[in-house]
Amino acid sequence: MNNRVVNALAAASLSALLVAAFGGMAGAADPADMVKERQQTMKKLGGGMGAVAKFVKNEGGTLEDAAKGAEAVLAVAKMDAKAVFVPGTAVGVGESAAKPELWQSWSVAEERWKAVQPAAVKLGEAIKGGDRAQIAQALGATSKTCGTCHEDFRVKKQ
Amino acid sequence: MRRRAWSLTARALPLVLPFALVAGGGAWAADADAVARGGYLFQAAGCLGCHTNEKAGGAPLTGGRALVTPFGTFHTPNITPDPVNGIGRWSDADFIRAFREGVRPDGAALFPAFPYASYTRMTDRDLLDLKAYLFAEKPQAVANKPHDLSPPFSWRFLVPGWQWMYMTPGPVADDPGKPAAWNRGRYLVDALGHCGECHTPRSLLGGLDQSRYLAGTPDGPDGDKVPNITAHLAKGLGKWSDGDLGMLLELGLKPDGDVAGGAMGEVVRNSTSKLTAEDRAAIIAYLKTVPPKE
Repeated sequence: MNNRVVNALAAASLSALLVAAFGGMAGAADPADMVKERQQTMKKLGGGMGAVAKFVKNEGGTLEDAAKGAEAVLAVAKMDAKAVFVPGTAVGVGESAAKPELWQSWSVAEERWKAVQPAAVKLGEAIKGGDRAQIAQALGATSKTCGTCHEDFRVKKQ
Repeated sequence: MRRRAWSLTARALPLVLPFALVAGGGAWAADADAVARGGYLFQAAGCLGCHTNEKAGGAPLTGGRALVTPFGTFHTPNITPDPVNGIGRWSDADFIRAFREGVRPDGAALFPAFPYASYTRMTDRDLLDLKAYLFAEKPQAVANKPHDLSPPFSWRFLVPGWQWMYMTPGPVADDPGKPAAWNRGRYLVDALGHCGECHTPRSLLGGLDQSRYLAGTPDGPDGDKVPNITAHLAKGLGKWSDGDLGMLLELGLKPDGDVAGGAMGEVVRNSTSKLTAEDRAAIIAYLKTVPPKE
């Protein structure tokens, strides 16, 4: 092998490594895929909230499912905001519903994202307690943390 | 429901009384009950959101929020009792006329961005209670911003024509054939909550297309889509249980676990979450009977 081929191979493997490293960090390299991934994450979050709501509404939801729901909410809330809201994934990319303002007011957005976690912890604790009224209250507090972001940073969908 | 409302009044009394005494002066200031009832109506009618420029840190009720519409940008006015910038000089009759007929104290027509086509259905008593509440608030000398409208939408003299076309002044009598909760629900939805102002599509001239009452529109506030809230099974709320609707109105939480954002998030935060459980149930009882529209 001559030097040129070796260099080309080295460059290729280095870029492959870089792509793997950064791609892995962000979850996916393509912005449209990142949007899809975010939607899955949000669906998981919503599914968790819905499971708790089903118990609170007294429409057939079990306490056990509610507990699993709260765990799902907490798992998502623990994610790094930067990994969920990767720059360059605002509305216009795929089916993104995130307003550009989310990144323009990043510190606000990040603070609001972080507020979900303690609310989700309390939600889990309330479920362990088993009292429907307290769970309802904790669910309300958690959905409030979601709502503040949705109100300012999400394009309305239908 | 009545009993609950009164107990709410009783609890709010100690909070409200000092304000009423400080405001002093008129006969209204002494009537703490009216102020407390008005405070509840203030929430049910969702006054705070539009009349506060929350994002710019504006003081409550001092207006200045820009409402971007297809007809131009309206800047909401100061509705504190400040005599110069607010409504401090408005008499009871002035206040009722503004809501009932869409007319300012000087006789000029108000632009229907102020949703008087809905508020016109409020009873005199509720309007005066609401006035009592507003007049017990602190006057704020914050000047009003002019609207940014282009002709012909900026021509106030055309507004009475609009009112003639799109507005039926006055309260609607209760339907004796329907339960009390349904009638209360209709009043909350149509008069106070002015739900149709967003959820009913508008004609080219900005009047509500009542043939598509609450059927949703792709051109809602801030360009958002607004959902169909008729009882339509697929497109509306037909499949929502009472619990689903209650949870949305109280917590903003939808059946799929999503949380309402945008304008409805604000409505939940400022208004529906603050209603009594009985009033939310009344809204639900009424909405479930709204004829389905696609």
